[in-house]
Amino acid sequence: METINSNAAYRRKGPAFYLKIYLKIVAQDIKSKMSYRTDFFISTIGMITTNIAGFIAFLIMFGKFPSINGWEYYEILFLYGFSLISITPTQCLLDNNWSLRRYVYDGDFVKYCFRPINLWFYYVSEVFDVKGLGQLAFGTGTLVYAWIKLALPVSLILILKTVVALVTASLFMMALQNAAAASCFWIQNSFWLLDISLKMKDYAKYPVTIFNDVFKFIFTFIIPVAFMAYYPSLAILRPDNVPVLTYLSPFLGILAFYGSYKLWMKGAGKYDGSGS
Amino acid sequence: MESIIKLSNVSKEFKILNRHEGLAGSIRDLFSRDYKIVRAVDNISLDVAQGEIVGFLGPNGAGKSTTIKMMTGVLEPSNGELIINNRIPYKDRTKNSQEIGVVFGQRSQLWWALPLVESFKLLKDIYQISDKDYNDMLELYGSMIDLEPLLHKPVRQMSLGQRTLSDILAAFLHNPKVVFLDEPTIGLDVAMKSKIREMILGLNQKKNTTVILTTHDMGDVDALCHRIVIIDKGRMLYDNDIEHLKKFFGAYRTLKIRLREDTEEAAVKLTKELSDLDIAISNDDTWISILVNEEKTRVIKVLERIQETHSVRDMQLEEISTEDVIKKIYEGGTGFGK
Repeated sequence: METINSNAAYRRKGPAFYLKIYLKIVAQDIKSKMSYRTDFFISTIGMITTNIAGFIAFLIMFGKFPSINGWEYYEILFLYGFSLISITPTQCLLDNNWSLRRYVYDGDFVKYCFRPINLWFYYVSEVFDVKGLGQLAFGTGTLVYAWIKLALPVSLILILKTVVALVTASLFMMALQNAAAASCFWIQNSFWLLDISLKMKDYAKYPVTIFNDVFKFIFTFIIPVAFMAYYPSLAILRPDNVPVLTYLSPFLGILAFYGSYKLWMKGAGKYDGSGS
Repeated sequence: MESIIKLSNVSKEFKILNRHEGLAGSIRDLFSRDYKIVRAVDNISLDVAQGEIVGFLGPNGAGKSTTIKMMTGVLEPSNGELIINNRIPYKDRTKNSQEIGVVFGQRSQLWWALPLVESFKLLKDIYQISDKDYNDMLELYGSMIDLEPLLHKPVRQMSLGQRTLSDILAAFLHNPKVVFLDEPTIGLDVAMKSKIREMILGLNQKKNTTVILTTHDMGDVDALCHRIVIIDKGRMLYDNDIEHLKKFFGAYRTLKIRLREDTEEAAVKLTKELSDLDIAISNDDTWISILVNEEKTRVIKVLERIQETHSVRDMQLEEISTEDVIKKIYEGGTGFGK
């Protein structure tokens, strides 16, 4: 029996292993969330209201102008839908990062350190925010609507481009939130950073050209907000005039996400479990 | 016997920033390099064989949790060598986790919203436990406690006792070589305490699991630990069995008396009146306990002195309790240890 056990210990834990575990945890999590029925309904209503309110504000703001800085109304609507979709993975998958500060501060984070699996995975897998799926549906609806109104062709290559662009944007969003959350390993009062990271996504839905040069620079090179919708979607909206940064953005996205993961793990490594 | 845990001269130091007061102070702190070094664990050596139960005792902040965190691989020792199961836990945290189980205080590691059995199934996947081993373990659990009602209850609906029990079962589920329990019976009622102790002892015997536990509860020590390690201010004061410890304090007796007056006031008075004798006086609601070292002061003499001024209604004479032994060591008034 000893040998069986120690063989199991060294069995490789690859992506398939993690995916299997993740799906199981998420299925259980959704099941248990449904069991708090009232809570589930109220938060669903809240999510729908928030999205509708945001959408109405958008209509009022941009409905008056046929175009802004060379961007026409439906293109901006496209960006809006695009940014709603690309925030979904952050919201669904990384929701537990919002609690990270509290766990670290109370010393409760130590309880995540005893499992024989990747610490970051184990931590973020604990919570799956179902509400994000509603946002996904809303964003997809908006995107499809804008797509039709813009009379974009429905070709496989364009859809593929859109998917790549969405994945890229999602990676940047996840990277920003992940890094902001990880700051709590170094900074005592780090909530404002996480809060800012959330607010940044609000800027993502506008074309970066409407900002002045200072903000354009900041949003491109310092806090990569422009990569959360603008640069990736240029490939679809302005196929004739695609900047180099757009082509680079999928790679930069992977790099940014990997960097934020490394930062998170480095922070967790220096965590000393004080507070117990 | 081969040792499963080996610590050689292990120390752990923390660098703590000397914080200044006020707004100006906190701005200064941002750039300050004014650290003080705190030695949480100071030169501890220890050797534990497979199957032993070792109790870690010591006042709060003594360094027990820090030592356990080093053994589980969460913290890296500043100095010394630490080997668990032929591995350096800090360097190999993931693999080390595969062969240890941990219950840390009241922080449940189970999935809060899930029924226990679902948590178990997830752990089965995470630790890659074979179907047979998993079923055997559940069967063993079932033979020790009434498992069925616990299995289908979400962890969030459990009482503290049920949760602690569940956490302990989860820690043993993958049949680890070592299980670390940090204050496993804290805050539980008497019946639950004894249930949990039986469970730990049973699993230790059936699976030959090494158990390291920290506690403040002498009941845990008496029920579980053949061997105790006492740590205070980061240093190891004692490492041997409990009988040895009691032998050392063999000359100590606890004289318990009840007087025909208010216990609280009488205890205060007695402390004053008998201040020339080398004794320790404490009290609960009804009894005044006087710890006497027979080699220095005779119990009879203490009793005589009390009767000069008080009227004794009832009395008992007891051997020193484990609790008093430990208290004596913490107080350091006996010249015991270093």
